[in-house]
Amino acid sequence: MTSLLDPEFIRRLGRLRLHVQRRFAGAAGGARRSTRKGQSVEFADHRAYVPGDDIRRIDWNAYARLEELVLRLHVAEEDLSVHLLIDTSASMAGEKLDTARRIAAALAYVGLAGSERVGVAPFAESVGAPLPPTRGRRRIGAVLRYLDELRADGETSLARSVEALLARRPRPGLAIVLSDLLDPGGYERPLDRLQAAKHELVIFHVLSQEELAPKGGGDYALVDRERGVRVEVSLDEHALRAYHKRLGAFLSGVEGYARRRGAMYFRAGGEVSFEDAVLAYLRTGP
Amino acid sequence: MSLLSPWGLAWLGLLVPLVLLYVLKRRRETKVVGSTLLWEQALRDLRAERPWRRLVPQVALLLQALAIAAGALALARPVGAGAVPSGAHVAVVVDVSASMAGRTRGERRIDRARALASSLVESLPPGGRMMLLEAGSEASVLAPLTSDASTLRRALGQLAVRGASADLEGAVALAAERLRGAPAGSHVLLLTDGAEDGEIALAAEVPVEVRRVVPEQDAPVVNTGIVAADCRPAPGDAADAADVFVRVAHVGDAPVDVFVTASIDGGPVVASRRLSVEPDGTASAVMRATFPPDEAGRAPIVRLQLSRAADEAGMDDDLDLDDVAVVPSPGRQRLPVFLVGDAPAPVLRVLQADPRLELFETTLARLARRGPDQPPLDGLFVYTGEVPDEPPAGDSIVIAPAADRVFELEVGAEVLAPRIVTWDEADPRLRFVSLGELQLISLRPLRGGGQRLVETDRGAAIVGIARPDGETTVLGFDPAASNWPRQASFVVFFRNLLQRARRRRDAGGIAPGTLGEPLRIPAPDGTPVVVTTPAGHRIEAVSRGGLAVVPVAAEPGVYRAKVAGRELHALRSLLDPGESDLRPRVRFSRAGAGGDTTLGVAEEHHEAWPWLAALLLLLLVAEIAWATRRPEAVPR
Repeated sequence: MTSLLDPEFIRRLGRLRLHVQRRFAGAAGGARRSTRKGQSVEFADHRAYVPGDDIRRIDWNAYARLEELVLRLHVAEEDLSVHLLIDTSASMAGEKLDTARRIAAALAYVGLAGSERVGVAPFAESVGAPLPPTRGRRRIGAVLRYLDELRADGETSLARSVEALLARRPRPGLAIVLSDLLDPGGYERPLDRLQAAKHELVIFHVLSQEELAPKGGGDYALVDRERGVRVEVSLDEHALRAYHKRLGAFLSGVEGYARRRGAMYFRAGGEVSFEDAVLAYLRTGP
Repeated sequence: MSLLSPWGLAWLGLLVPLVLLYVLKRRRETKVVGSTLLWEQALRDLRAERPWRRLVPQVALLLQALAIAAGALALARPVGAGAVPSGAHVAVVVDVSASMAGRTRGERRIDRARALASSLVESLPPGGRMMLLEAGSEASVLAPLTSDASTLRRALGQLAVRGASADLEGAVALAAERLRGAPAGSHVLLLTDGAEDGEIALAAEVPVEVRRVVPEQDAPVVNTGIVAADCRPAPGDAADAADVFVRVAHVGDAPVDVFVTASIDGGPVVASRRLSVEPDGTASAVMRATFPPDEAGRAPIVRLQLSRAADEAGMDDDLDLDDVAVVPSPGRQRLPVFLVGDAPAPVLRVLQADPRLELFETTLARLARRGPDQPPLDGLFVYTGEVPDEPPAGDSIVIAPAADRVFELEVGAEVLAPRIVTWDEADPRLRFVSLGELQLISLRPLRGGGQRLVETDRGAAIVGIARPDGETTVLGFDPAASNWPRQASFVVFFRNLLQRARRRRDAGGIAPGTLGEPLRIPAPDGTPVVVTTPAGHRIEAVSRGGLAVVPVAAEPGVYRAKVAGRELHALRSLLDPGESDLRPRVRFSRAGAGGDTTLGVAEEHHEAWPWLAALLLLLLVAEIAWATRRPEAVPR
């Protein structure tokens, strides 16, 4: 199929579904509860019968007990819109983009297998050419090919990217952000904008092993792949201690943000493989 | 601080390529990372916590730049102020007066001056030349202008305290004269303790730098010394009785009690007095004692010693030279006068009138018959007319010489009625003598060397000659053929001559001199001379040109010399209130135009290049250590 997912992992994904905390109004009938009352088998509520209602939905058992005509209302099972926002800025090049693509591929597979509508929106300075939302298990190949062709380039601007995405008026759904969030402009306001647009936010914080645990020793001129900034540093004990202090503050800051906003947060990269991150998310469901 | 080789600083130009190399050469391994955001924040934190860490990335550059700077500075040969500028000449004048034997913080001032001069020698730049002069009672050149450090070092080794006072003016003038026409930057450096009274005008055509070897803050000093001593016959008392007079001066903050002990040199103590001396004051004592002549008939020598207690032998103050003084005792022995030829009657009457003379009449022939085994005649010779070709050692008077040459003088043809023009009133032989009324019938003018004592309009009438083995006064006329015998000045003149001869004889036969000056011992050519110093050290020398010059250290006391079985002696004492006062007090001024005088406190000039070279090596080691340091452990 593709190098992004191996068969064994796909097999493990087969029995899992994307986890959402809220209900969303779908565009078509699907396998997921909707905020609308529908014709599925899952009971939602009763209401009084009014002329013109479908008499097949009258709850005769309730009539026997209450001697009033009431209608059974059922939850409508509709498809879920899943927006995979993949950071393709230059900072994601290499290990991080690969991890992000694999996570996105896994989530897309699960979503398409669960009859969800899955769209992919790569972003850097803005949203690039997105993969429009699509559904159906047969579309997984197209999605994986799309992911496979993503390349890391350009600076990160999460704010502009989110605005560009929202300008397309996507259906509210699951917004899964896969990024290192190393944006000089910050990540909180753009993510707030996504939530304000009725999207449920899931953050996959993707970092590289080098960022999580840099090796000490030696004098280096570190060049920022995105901005070209050159930082000369001697990787001695003091410098590493200061870096880890900053890294810890950054990670706990993102995690705390997610907690405060009710978003789900998962870290990937380093010692946490993409499979572990995906499974951790998928297993949070009921 | 100055640089002996300022061109050495040109090596600092290496800093430019060094910095360029650092700019152009990428020493750091470049690593492209996704984002440097966290690193930027971490480094900001790090620099805020440890500002000096900002320098760490440039440590190697810093160390190498410092190494270059240290090397360039070392090559520039930095030294302290007063060093010899490149290509310049410097004349170092060292005060060798007695006060330079004083101690300051335990170090003798002369040694301090020697160290200062030595540091200058060691820092002599290429092209620089230096000369060394000592300013004693007379200025003398110890080393001529030279760039040879070994010559200068040898000359420095000869530096010693000499004389009671220093002729600083004369020495500086001599140095300035030698530096005339020297390159720019040349100057005279005067090293002195400034323990002189009054003001000294340093006349110099070149800049003069005065450096005091004793800083003002090191004063006050503590010193007690004998500043005057004499021994005179006790009036109306027994024979050989004499009064010893001594004056003691004290410089210090508190009064001091001292004992003055009089003893016969090499013999017993004969008197002692306790004196209390106030600060900056003096105290005197007169001690009566008997000084019988020794077995050879010579009067003994009186040794005076200062001490803290009656049974001690020293003062433990800042200067030792003035704690001892020696003076001759008056003695009762008459001065032998040997009359050679027929002395003029007026001269004979004067000699016969002196009760302390013993007259002997002799002839040239009898003098010539005296063999070398016979003891030399020890007295005053009065020659009238003829003078022997090889006169015996000793003082002499020559009256109306008959030959055309006497000693080193040429005796001119007889002239009639010469008129006295001038006479040397400062000479002790003409003390209280007025020759304004003197009228000579005839004169054989004296020409050549010697000191012209009396001058006529036709030439010198009286000349004094200083010889190694005696002093001679030559009269180019017969006093009997003048109106001089009828004047008081005639008697006074001859009394002065007798008194001078008596004093010189009392002094031991060696020409009088100041403390620390070489002994000039009259002796036939090639004769070995052995001198025993007051401390008992033996010094051997050989006479050259009728004189054995024996350098001795400044040591008060009696110097005894043995010359061919004959014993001579010399008495050396300080007896100078100005030198016993060790406080720096002299004022220097500039006389004439064109000279600069600067005054400073002495600093020893050590060249700093060895230290800079050591620093350079240390920096190189540090740089290597930095460049090869092992990576530190990575905290997780």
